[in-house]
Amino acid sequence: MELIINLSINGIATGMLIFLIASGLTLIFGLMSVLNFAHGGLFVWGAYSGVFFFSLTGSFWIGILCAIVTGLILGLLTEVFIIRPVYGNHIRQILITLGLMLVLSELIKVVFGPNVLPAPVPDYLKGSWLIGDITIIKYRMFIILVGALIFCLMFFTLRYSKIGLIVRAGVMNKEMVQALGINIKKIFIFVFMVGSALAAFAGALFAPSAGAIYSELGMEFGIYAFIVVIIGGMGSIPGSLVAALLVGLANTFTAYYVPILSMVVTMLLMLIVLLFRPQGLFNVSGVSNK
Amino acid sequence: MMLKRMKLSTKVYLLIGLALAFLPFINDSRWFMFLMIQIFVFAIFAMSYDLLLGYTGIVSFGHAMFFGVGAYSAAIVMDRMEASFVSFLLGTLVAVLIGGFISFLAGMLTLKLKSHYYAMLTLALAGMFLYIAERWRSVTGGNDGFTFRIPELPGFLEEHRNFVIYLFCLLAMILLFFGMKRITESPLGRVLVGIRENDQRVESLGYRIMPYKVLISVISGMVASLSGVLYAISIRFVDTSVFDIQVTLDALMMTIIGGVGTLTGPIIGSAIINFSHHYLSDLANIHWIFQRWMILFGAIFILAVIFFPNGIVGTIQNKLAKRKTKKKQYDTTEKSLRKEGA
Repeated sequence: MELIINLSINGIATGMLIFLIASGLTLIFGLMSVLNFAHGGLFVWGAYSGVFFFSLTGSFWIGILCAIVTGLILGLLTEVFIIRPVYGNHIRQILITLGLMLVLSELIKVVFGPNVLPAPVPDYLKGSWLIGDITIIKYRMFIILVGALIFCLMFFTLRYSKIGLIVRAGVMNKEMVQALGINIKKIFIFVFMVGSALAAFAGALFAPSAGAIYSELGMEFGIYAFIVVIIGGMGSIPGSLVAALLVGLANTFTAYYVPILSMVVTMLLMLIVLLFRPQGLFNVSGVSNK
Repeated sequence: MMLKRMKLSTKVYLLIGLALAFLPFINDSRWFMFLMIQIFVFAIFAMSYDLLLGYTGIVSFGHAMFFGVGAYSAAIVMDRMEASFVSFLLGTLVAVLIGGFISFLAGMLTLKLKSHYYAMLTLALAGMFLYIAERWRSVTGGNDGFTFRIPELPGFLEEHRNFVIYLFCLLAMILLFFGMKRITESPLGRVLVGIRENDQRVESLGYRIMPYKVLISVISGMVASLSGVLYAISIRFVDTSVFDIQVTLDALMMTIIGGVGTLTGPIIGSAIINFSHHYLSDLANIHWIFQRWMILFGAIFILAVIFFPNGIVGTIQNKLAKRKTKKKQYDTTEKSLRKEGA
């Protein structure tokens, strides 16, 4: 019982991190049908800048803030210089963002050095609580709380604010929104920057829970985020959450019980979804997958 | 007789092939032969990639899995059986069958969806193959890989083993080049280009798109597996690096630099990339940036996609085509002017 609860908490925490990456990815895709293969690169940049500024200033929160700023800046640069020249051409978008991914993960090695970087947990989040027989690691609970908070924030912004209304409308029918006099490109830059910042934020949160970070993490988590977007349905935030938790839990449990299958189980989930529900679990009507 | 009926371009290709066959007589140093073999092998691999990317408009991020499956199946079969030509043929057959089967499966699952799905699925599948190759130590030898023996050649050929492998890879490249050229010039190839340009129009003309896409994906997977077999034979060793994403990226880069949608492009691209790999690693001692050459690679890649989307061969072809139409226009205006004058 204790084991199952611990594994579940672990899985949910991983799922929350993947959700933070995937939510930006899915909105960017839904809005402009741009699939940003460099999204994982922003994750790893967030992780490194978070750890770097944490060790520089001694404050965990300043580290996270700096990671978010890094994400915003990188997101802006990416949108303007990389995505804009190739609007409307899917194949070139896929290729160019892949090129960016390479540059981003190699630049990490140039800026922060090629070695694995240790990432400490701040003192007040160290340790664990003991409830009966169950040990709960504080930092994991912290990740889950923050993830849930971000989900609520995104969900309510999308549902009740004006910008959320425009974004939702844009995901459903981009041309109609433009015809109503709204500059969808500006909205898109905004969503792109927020999505990038979320990925960087996830990276900064992830680093202490892993204990050490390296530049190849970007590709790893990027792939997880893509899989989550496929399973959840492109353009859907609740879909991303459900799929991310599913992937996180499946991963943690198989990694404990059948370690050999841990990579395969995520793939199997995706294959099953592609076979029986290719539009994803929660498809936003209007976002086609053809 | 046969020579007369050939097109000029075919003659030129054959002549270049013949010249390449005599190249080892000029420079027979080990590293040069090895580099040329690498160029041939990766040219085959990149051509198979271009069948998807350039001719049909399908982006695959996991092409390395076919390369790796080819290399491993040939190596494992030849390692387990006695090194003879039978085992070589069997290994090749197994490689091609498995490669075809995987690409069939991936194609059936995702090719009816947006291009992103195929890219993502192949990326994830290739990751899975790398993972399996690392973990299934009893068969693949894990990260260390394993060496194997290739069949001994009869008589004096054994002394010139490298030269024979060189010729073999060159011959394979030439044959596969003409084979794929035949495919792309056939009605099938025309339909594929149509799908790349506008799949809805092709559909409304009465073609079912899926079978065509799956077919080309299977052909491409099989050819890529063959290049993997040749790779394994040429270095007599396999390890998990054959499944690395770098292999896919190399093919992508070769195709884009050389010329998307042409078959000569990937060959030229393969030569350029392999030569620059070789010389850039020498430059690493001079400046640190060459150690992190992936940055250069990525930057060139991004610039190429934005500014140079047709690649070398594509740009040259476009220029030639423009000149031709200009000349035609000039000729016709001149004629009409003369008519008026008379």
